Amino acid sequence: MTEYLLYPGCVASVRELGYEMAMRAVFKRLDVKLRQRDDFNCCMPACLVHSVDYKRGLALTSRNLAIAEEEDLPLMTLCSSCFGNLSRAKYLLDSNQDLRRDVNKLLGEVGREYRGKARVEHVVTSIYKDYGPDGVREMSVKPLSGVRAAPFYGCHLFLPQRYSGFDDAEFPQKLDRLIEATGAESVDYHEKTSCCIGCGSFFGDVSEEAGLKLAEIILDDVKASGADAIVATCPFCMMQLEVGQIKLREAKGKEYGIPVIHYVDAFGLSLGVEPSELGLDLRRISVSPLLQKLGRD
Amino acid sequence: MAKALPGKYNPRRLLQRVSNDLPELLRSEELWLCAWCYRCTERCPQGIQPTEIFLLTRNLASEEGRIPKNPKAIIREIMRSGRSVSVPDGFDEWREGYGLPPIGMTISPKAIEEQRKIFGEELLRRLDA
Repeated sequence: MTEYLLYPGCVASVRELGYEMAMRAVFKRLDVKLRQRDDFNCCMPACLVHSVDYKRGLALTSRNLAIAEEEDLPLMTLCSSCFGNLSRAKYLLDSNQDLRRDVNKLLGEVGREYRGKARVEHVVTSIYKDYGPDGVREMSVKPLSGVRAAPFYGCHLFLPQRYSGFDDAEFPQKLDRLIEATGAESVDYHEKTSCCIGCGSFFGDVSEEAGLKLAEIILDDVKASGADAIVATCPFCMMQLEVGQIKLREAKGKEYGIPVIHYVDAFGLSLGVEPSELGLDLRRISVSPLLQKLGRD
Repeated sequence: MAKALPGKYNPRRLLQRVSNDLPELLRSEELWLCAWCYRCTERCPQGIQPTEIFLLTRNLASEEGRIPKNPKAIIREIMRSGRSVSVPDGFDEWREGYGLPPIGMTISPKAIEEQRKIFGEELLRRLDA
């Protein structure tokens, strides 16, 4: 039986309950066991905590890796930002022995040590590795035929390649392949590998302004592609692209009406999981048009 | 970020300022605008890792006590609760309504004590300054 050590993360478990529901429903259907711990801390975003102290920030992130080593299970994150921070810490400590020694000195103050054995996965990387497009296709009982889906990769799932090791840095395709395996068509569009800045900019008005501008560029492009929905991998991207639609309606009267779902939603629907079990009624932008198209509203 | 704010943020200019204009840069907004998308680090033909350089440069601003208000507030919340997003009262009941396990148990007081110890007294004081 496949088993992971779940790393819930702040945003997914507080702001994106629909995603957490979908993730749990899908892994339950797949008979994947998710072990939980009560002593992880925040992934300590580099753009925040490492910005005030590089080594202590890295030690705080690595504390989670040290805990994962006690369990001898791969970590699985829901959030691409958690995935990015944890895989960055692992990369830096595995490739620089001096840095590892300094970080372990700090971890030693609380009786912990990073040994280099932790493995870091994300919900999407684990699905790709454990089943792959062929496995997803074989398990599909209610394929998403006729749906045109716009993949939105998010940054830290695949960038930088040396940290994530998941996909090509300039021309990622794995999310497209996983989407096609659910029976949907994966739509190509220019902005599909763009940054939404949702997980990396916390500077007040400037970040708001920049985030909204990027959301508009991305949403305009998705709209022009004629896609029925955006399929994302990260809870921050989902928030930016949903809240962006609400704000752009208020600010500019723009009506996008583009459902934003996570890949586990698409996978879950193809597995025959009910939309209510996937928490799709919690989405900020109604997914009814998508479900109607599938005859599952 | 460079695409969203072309006049305000440019990673090439930021790198130049790290070597040519450091004292001013440490007081500037631009230093905090990198949203760590890692595209410059991925593409740099010289293998420089600008994202890491920007983080280390922010450390210098931090040592001068210059941590912008919003990032400081979020780090303070992380050190208080173990999470970057504060959990509202009664949240576990709400989660239970969706069939989700309680969140209150996912970060123990011991974990918060350990993270505060690793972060250290000096930095905790810097957050309160």
